[in-house]
This record gives sequence, C-alpha cells and structure tokens, in this order.
Amino acid sequence: MITIQASHAAVHQVPLQTTLLFAAILVALIASLAMEEKLHAKKSLIVGLFAAFCLVLGDILLELPLGPYDIGGQMINLPVYIPAIDWGVIAIILGASLFVDVTSRSGLFTWIAIKLTKVSKGDPLILLWLYGLMTVVFSAVLNNVTAMIIVGSLSAVSLGRLKRSKMLLGFLMIEGLLTNVGGLLTLISSVPNIIVGTAAGISFVTFFLKASPYVVVASIITIMMGARFFGIVRLQSEEERTESARMIEGFDERDGIESQAFFWFAVFMLMAFIVAMAAVSATPVISDLGMGFVAITFALVMLIRYKHEADEFYKAIDWDLLGFFAALFVVINIMEHAQVLALIGKGLERIIALGSTTGTAAVLVAAAGFSSVTDNIPLAAMLAKIITGIPAPDGGVRLASDPLWWSVIFGANLGGNLTPIGSASTLVAVTIMHKHKIPMSFGGFVRIAAPFAAVQILLALAYVLIFL
Amino acid sequence: MRRTEGTAVGKIDQFESVFRAASKSVFEFEPVEIRSVLVITDLGEREADRMGHDVQQFLRVIDGPDVAWRVVKGEEFGTVPTLLELVEAVQPDLLVTYRHLHSESWQWPYTLGEYVDVLTQVTTTPVIVLPHPRAQRASEHAIQKTGRVMAMTDHLVGDHRLVNWAVRFTEPQGRLHLAHVQDETQFERFMDVIGRIASIDTEAAHQDIMERLLSEPRDYIQSCRATLEAAGVPIAVESSVTIGRRLRECEKFIEDQQVDLLLFNTKDEDQLAMHGLAYPLAIELRQIPLLML
Repeated sequence: MITIQASHAAVHQVPLQTTLLFAAILVALIASLAMEEKLHAKKSLIVGLFAAFCLVLGDILLELPLGPYDIGGQMINLPVYIPAIDWGVIAIILGASLFVDVTSRSGLFTWIAIKLTKVSKGDPLILLWLYGLMTVVFSAVLNNVTAMIIVGSLSAVSLGRLKRSKMLLGFLMIEGLLTNVGGLLTLISSVPNIIVGTAAGISFVTFFLKASPYVVVASIITIMMGARFFGIVRLQSEEERTESARMIEGFDERDGIESQAFFWFAVFMLMAFIVAMAAVSATPVISDLGMGFVAITFALVMLIRYKHEADEFYKAIDWDLLGFFAALFVVINIMEHAQVLALIGKGLERIIALGSTTGTAAVLVAAAGFSSVTDNIPLAAMLAKIITGIPAPDGGVRLASDPLWWSVIFGANLGGNLTPIGSASTLVAVTIMHKHKIPMSFGGFVRIAAPFAAVQILLALAYVLIFL
Repeated sequence: MRRTEGTAVGKIDQFESVFRAASKSVFEFEPVEIRSVLVITDLGEREADRMGHDVQQFLRVIDGPDVAWRVVKGEEFGTVPTLLELVEAVQPDLLVTYRHLHSESWQWPYTLGEYVDVLTQVTTTPVIVLPHPRAQRASEHAIQKTGRVMAMTDHLVGDHRLVNWAVRFTEPQGRLHLAHVQDETQFERFMDVIGRIASIDTEAAHQDIMERLLSEPRDYIQSCRATLEAAGVPIAVESSVTIGRRLRECEKFIEDQQVDLLLFNTKDEDQLAMHGLAYPLAIELRQIPLLML
C-alpha cells in the first residue's frame, strides 16, 4: 500500500481558541449552505471561498503538512489542498454521472419509463406504484437527482396526457420522498453512502444486502400512505379504463432510440456496470484501482460512440457539484488539523456512550435532523471522519458491521425528506412543481412530508437497532 | 442544439422534451356519416338536374339508399340570406357548389363570390367547391371519380376530422394522400431570428427543428395507416410531408398525382374569416373540386 505523508508531518497541539475559531467558521459554512437559495450562489463557490479562507488561516495558525509528500517512497511536491481531497469519491461521482449521461442518450431510461407507463394502461394507482418502483430503482442505480428528474418529468407529461394533472403534486411528493429511500439501496446510490461506506470499508454487496430489506418495506409503506393521503385510486368504470388506455397508447417508447445497436450496447453496459461495481472488492487488480476507476472506465467506453462530440458531455457534467466536493474535503481537512473534528467527536462520543441502543438511535435522529436543514454531504463527510477516529467499545477499530455507520447512512439520507432543502432530489421535485405552477412553500412541503419522513425514520430506527 | 446545462432545471426541461416527443398523437378513426347532400347551382332546371346527376356520379363513394340528394336551382335564391335560409331548412351533411353563383365574376379568378364566401364561413357544413361549369378551367380528370384524394394542411398532427372526411371520400382501392406542408417562409423567418441569438447553435437548431417539424406528421400518418388497416378500410395511405411554399407545393402535387379531390380546413376557432392557407388555396386551385371543412 502506498502511503502519502508529508515529510515533516506531525501531530501538533492546537490552542482551544484556535479550534473554536475554526469551529465558528464551520458553523458559518453550514449556515451559508443552508441559505444557498437566499444567497443566490452556487455551492462550489460558497465552499470554495471558505476553503481558500481556511487554507490561508490554517497556514498562519496551524502546522499544516505542507509537503513535499512521501508517495510510495518518492518525495513529490504537491500543494497541501491536493492530498486533502478524497479523489476516490470524486472519481466515482465524476465517472458515474458521465456514464449515466452517455447511457441516457441511448434512450434506455426513457424506454423503461415509457414501457412502464404503458403497462399501467393509464390507471393512476398502478401508475403510482410503477413510478414509485422506478424511482427507487433509478435512485439506486443512477442517483437520486437523475431519478427524480426522469420520473418527475415523465409524471408531468404522462399525467398531462391523461388529463390528470391535478394528481401531479401527489406523484411528485411521493417520488421525491422515495428518491431518498432508493438512495439507500446501494453503496453508490448517494454521496453519503459513498463517503460513509468507503470510510467504514463496507463492500458493495454487503451494503446492498443490509439496506435492501429496509428499502423494500419503506417504499411500500410510503406509496400506500401517499395513495391514501393524495386520494390516488384505481379507475372505477370500464369506460374510464378504455379511455385512459387509449390515451397512454400514444406514447412511443422507441422515439428516443437513435440506434438499436447502441441501445442494446447500453443495456449490456449498464448491467456490466452494476456487476463490476458489485465485484470491485473481489476482483484482482480492479480492487486496487477502486470504484472510481471502474466508473470512469465505463464512462469512457460509452463515450466511444460519441467520440467526436465527447466535449459536449464534459460540458454537461455538474462541475458545481464536483467543485463543491473538492472544496468541502479541503475544509474538512483543515478542520481536522484544527482539532474541530476531534472536538465534535468528543460530543459525539458522549452520545454514543448513551449505550448501543440509545446512542445509536440518537446518532440516527441527530443525523436526520441535521441533514434536513443543510446538505447531508458535509455531515456525512464529517461524521465519517469523526467515527473513524472514535474507537469501538472493545477499544479496537470500528468494524464495517458497526450499526453506528448505518445510523449515519440512514439518518443522512432520510433526513432529506423532512424539508425541501434537505436533499437535492426533493429540491428537484419542488422545482418541477413550480415549473408546472403548483404552489409549494417551505412550510407546505414540511406539513405534507413530515408524517412520511417520521414513519421512514422510525422504521429505520427499528431496523438498525433490531437487525443491524 | 444539445443542451449542455448541468443544472437540474436544464435537465428537467431536457427530459420533459424527450417524453413530450415520445407522446404522440394517434389517429382516431370515426366513420363520417353523410345522409343528406345539397347541390347548389345558379342554373336553370335542366342544367341543374344534369349537374346534380354529374355530382352524384362523381361522389358515388358516398352515395347509397340512405342518402338524400337535393339540387337547388338558380331561381330558388337571389340573395345570401335566402340561400342561408334554404340551407338551414334542409340541414344537409354536405354542400356542393361552385364559385361566383349568380355572378359573372368567374371570368376573373380572384374571389370566391359572395355566396360561397359566406357559406364556407357561416355554416358548419363542409362545402365542396367544384370548378366553375363555364370557366373551362377544370382538369381533364376532374369531377369523374375520387380515386385519388388529398388532405392538405400545415398542421396535420391530431387533425382526425380532416383525415376521417378524406377517408370517407376515397373510393375503395383508391389512394389517400395525407399532405403536410410546412411553410418555408415562416420557418426561415424563425431561423433568421435564431441566427441572431448567440446562445443557440444556429446550424444544429435548423437541423433539429426541421427534423422534429417533419417527423411528427410522418408519425401521425403512420398511425393513420395502421389504424385504417386495422379497421379494414381498403384504401392506400400515402404520406407527403415537406417544407416549401405551400400553394406551389400543393399545385405541383395535384398536377403530378392527378388528385381528384382536395380537402383542407377553412376555419380557425378564433377568427371569422377563412384562415391563412385556406383562402389562397380556395382561390387559386380552380382545376379540381375542393372540399372545404
């Protein structure tokens, strides 16, 4: 294993006032992220400015490991903010989003979406179940934002065609709430999963096996509650059923397919991608290169089809998100050097010390509450780093099977369902509502979503405490 | 014109566009019932009867024991209100007439004449306008049969009524041409505006918009073909989707394909006068019968 270590790296004592100063900066950063919409500023810019400020202040007040760095025995000069970034996580997000974007050009996702729409024959309740299922699966395989965009935009178009646009609010709310449930299914379904799962050393397969029972039950309960709450029922008369089936027949699932060959290639590649991701830890060579390598390689292979316009796909990458992650890792690294994480860790240790039941439950609820008002990614990144540093009850290293990891994963994902700003996918759901002139305030969203989120969190508590 | 926004709003719009494009209008076949035909002439009794006979022979595809034919002679009306009262009394499903009733203006091919002008707009009944009996402008094959019928519009997608009427008038084993002609002048005007907007790739926009404008009517015609085939209607449906000067394209097509009957819409929901494309078609295409809906 190659280690990266600054040539003069050492642990230094940090005065408490310096730690508190950096803690205040961290609070200011979190508050700024919570007010992202009000500031009209992109996440990457907000965190980037904080990262730049932290670096300057850190260089003045802290003993930063400035390099040169010992990388596998070679001394290499790197700016301090380069090794601060978790490039494995960045590579997974970059590769997976590029892969999904190119694959979607094959028409595969729209084909699946329209095929399911036609299976429903236009019956609203069947449509809700199928769209719910699709949301969960797309959130798991792609990511929750892309899933919400695909299923949400299809809901708007298909309900419009069925002349049932009044049901759009219910569909979008349920789909939005399900994206964060589906985001729990695999290790790469959401960024908190990637960060915490990677830190904990949870494999792709283990993650799936442990999370899937919860996802299935929570999805069923959410859809049933949603159908009841929004009054979405089966079509009653034969006449209504015939008319709806006729309306839905106008959808052509082949419309978005430019090439049959590329479509089938995309089907094969998507399945191979899932298998490859699942088998990373068990595959020689690939296990050394990691999931980010797999994601980027699959994206590059898919890009061969569009080799002359690959730059168009590069432009479409969410650089704001990637910039946000990179800057966030830098901030967290500085906070680590400033002993802020150790300080928070002490507080967290007290919560954990409440016992394996109360402590684990308290972490889950706290993580959910925190991620409902601000981005769950900084939370996940911080908690992953802090928990790694807290020894297990037996004094050893915390194992991948420790329920504490799952408390953070469930809490960080499900907390996003409490408010419209809690997760990017619920924000997308609200954006689609506004696009279709459905009024939805912050309070209005919370009033509707709170019972659903409460049930999901209670269910997660029971699941983590009893089964994990 | 591929959108490259990485933002959620851009992608929502992108996917909604994909799904809207996949949401296609499917032709709904509904056989048109014609039980009463009123042939309006400005002729004397004998000539009017002969004309009535010719029209009945020409429109044999709609004839049957249940269809009532009535021929109006010139002496039966002298003003527009009288003619409208007459039409109101009969309440026909189809009117058949020609331009410039009770007028010598047929010599100058620039109007329809006051009777037909008002008839086409005031009544909701479809009107067949025949070539004027004295004008000698009719094509050789005109008013013989309806083996080749053409429905023409600049917005074919979803116009089930136009297609159903065209189907009704096409003789068994005949050919129905469904024509969608996108106005080139209008298209170029939009492209000119797009060419002045820096954020839009002009060449890609030209190609994408053109492709979409023409693929939708093609898909609709395909659905007409499939639906009629499934319903066992024994006619061949031909597709003619193009961009160009609409009147010129139409004239060329009528000439090339020896079209026997041309159908088009004349009414817009929000205006009383004949809509933009209909009037020049009605005025200039004098060589074959026109069915104006």
